[in-house]
Amino acid sequence: MTTSTNLPGHPQVPNLAEVPGSILGRESAVTKVLLRRSAAARRARYSTIKIWVGAICAGVVVIPVVLAGVLPLPDPIVGALSESSLPPFSAGHLLGTDPNGRDLLSRILHGGQTSLVIGFLAIFVSGLFGIVAGAAAGYFGGWVDTIISRLLEAQMALPLLLMLLLVVALFGPSIPVITLVIAFAQWPEPARITRALVLVEREKPYVAAARVLGLPKFSILSRHVVPNILQQVLVVVLLLLAQAVLLESALSFLGAGVQRPYPTWGGIISDGRELFVTGKPWLVTVPGLAIALLVVGVNLVGDGLRDRVRRAKGDQT
Amino acid sequence: MLKYVLKRVGQTILTAFLAVATVFVLLRMAPGDPAANYAPPNPSSEQLEAIRQQFGLDQPVPVQFWTFLQHLFQGDVGTSFFFKRPALDVVLERLPYTITLAVAAIIVTSAVAIPLGVWMARRSNTAPELGANIGTIAGQSMPDFWIGFVLLILFAVNLHWFAPSGFDSAASIILPTVTIAILQIALISRLVRREMVVNLASPYLTVARSRGVSERALTWRYAFSNAALPVVTALGTRFAAMLNGVVIVEVVFNWPGVGELVVNALKQRDFPLIQATVLVTVLLALVVQLIVDLLYPLMDPRVRLGEASS
Repeated sequence: MTTSTNLPGHPQVPNLAEVPGSILGRESAVTKVLLRRSAAARRARYSTIKIWVGAICAGVVVIPVVLAGVLPLPDPIVGALSESSLPPFSAGHLLGTDPNGRDLLSRILHGGQTSLVIGFLAIFVSGLFGIVAGAAAGYFGGWVDTIISRLLEAQMALPLLLMLLLVVALFGPSIPVITLVIAFAQWPEPARITRALVLVEREKPYVAAARVLGLPKFSILSRHVVPNILQQVLVVVLLLLAQAVLLESALSFLGAGVQRPYPTWGGIISDGRELFVTGKPWLVTVPGLAIALLVVGVNLVGDGLRDRVRRAKGDQT
Repeated sequence: MLKYVLKRVGQTILTAFLAVATVFVLLRMAPGDPAANYAPPNPSSEQLEAIRQQFGLDQPVPVQFWTFLQHLFQGDVGTSFFFKRPALDVVLERLPYTITLAVAAIIVTSAVAIPLGVWMARRSNTAPELGANIGTIAGQSMPDFWIGFVLLILFAVNLHWFAPSGFDSAASIILPTVTIAILQIALISRLVRREMVVNLASPYLTVARSRGVSERALTWRYAFSNAALPVVTALGTRFAAMLNGVVIVEVVFNWPGVGELVVNALKQRDFPLIQATVLVTVLLALVVQLIVDLLYPLMDPRVRLGEASS
């Protein structure tokens, strides 16, 4: 993507425009300004902007959440009743406190740890399962494809949120259960993408070459096909992290999250819902901002990366 | 064509049956005794046993399911534990509220998302489009219950423009509709943009432009009529999903729809009411999906359903 005629790292290449008598001895009509304004260069620049803005948004939330145990914060579970319902920017409580006198910043950061652990575990499980199922369906076809495709369709028709609430009620709202429930809700997306990509990939010459060389089907799939599509699938899995955080907060909000007194983002907002009417809106707005910032950040990074991966693959849009 | 419709109707019934059966079994496996919720305070074990017998919960689960199916074929979905009335009637009373909300949300979504998406496609790779693009990403990144609360804090608590919750006047529908529409606009406008970019860059458009067709006609008559099919499909799917319950938004605004109904029924372990809600909403969502699929050949003459299915 370099616009310079002197390629960096190749200083010995003579600039043809300066060679006397050369047919290129006139200014090219394609100026650097035009190149910089071209659609391709713009797209590259905008995807970089998206990735940076996204990384900053996500970092602002993720870094303090990871450091929550180290930072000098008040206890997130036990509060002092003498300090109940302080507004933001009070002494010692940057974001204020809830009616139980618990520090809101501390609760948001500790709650974020739960949300992030659940989110990462969930996309790991759903990504792994989705890629394996999608690759098998796309590569082997036949009855494998039929079963997996039918499963994907059947799940679309189910009232998903209700099912998730029921399963959490059934097995108890522990971190493994909530993680698996979210992974179950999410596996169709990576599976569908992987299947579609593998369907295209398996018709390419290198797969035929590997088959002629006598490689077993499984090795072709795992060592040649999957590595070629992994980049595109992983971007989709990264975008699922945003969905996982949102879904976890929605489950917490409906009471199917990690139980009180342990803070979760959805739980903090749910606790604040009766209180904003009485003039304590920060208990609702601030934790939601944390979720929104993180999810916007992840979505922007994922979207920017997707633009890049697509461009690298050379197809449009 | 007829064969296709029959096949799809069969699939619809099978899927709805599957959904209800799954919920039926999950409900009976879940901990918590429904009888305890409907007995007088400090009930004796005889009282609890009597209530279980009255609800039919003393039978083994397969027997309960068989009884449920027999009643279902006679058009009886069961009696709500809580309301002591036929569960179907309770659901059908609440259904118009959910449908109204879903229709309002889908109208607002289409009215905003389609022009926005077309604009983004035409201004592709410019600074204003980057802004709109980031805006749509932000729109799909906020938790819907949080958007609802922020709107309530702004417009109900501080400005007193609307009643804080429930359904008292026609204006009550505005805030829940906006809450749903923000996410849907973000998703649909990005889809419109994607489809339009492909069509605007395709050769048939260049040919039409070289014949002197105006830009407005190129955008709407040529490119958009080709981009419309996936968009209508997506709108149909979104609408169907909303009928399955805009659960969270209904809970936030105390909207008396089926989503709010089913969350309360779940808390009260009102098994027949949950089953009836699942049956009705899943069937309705599947029927909407079926109608959208049947509209395909009307919108796009290239699609022939009978051939596609055989």
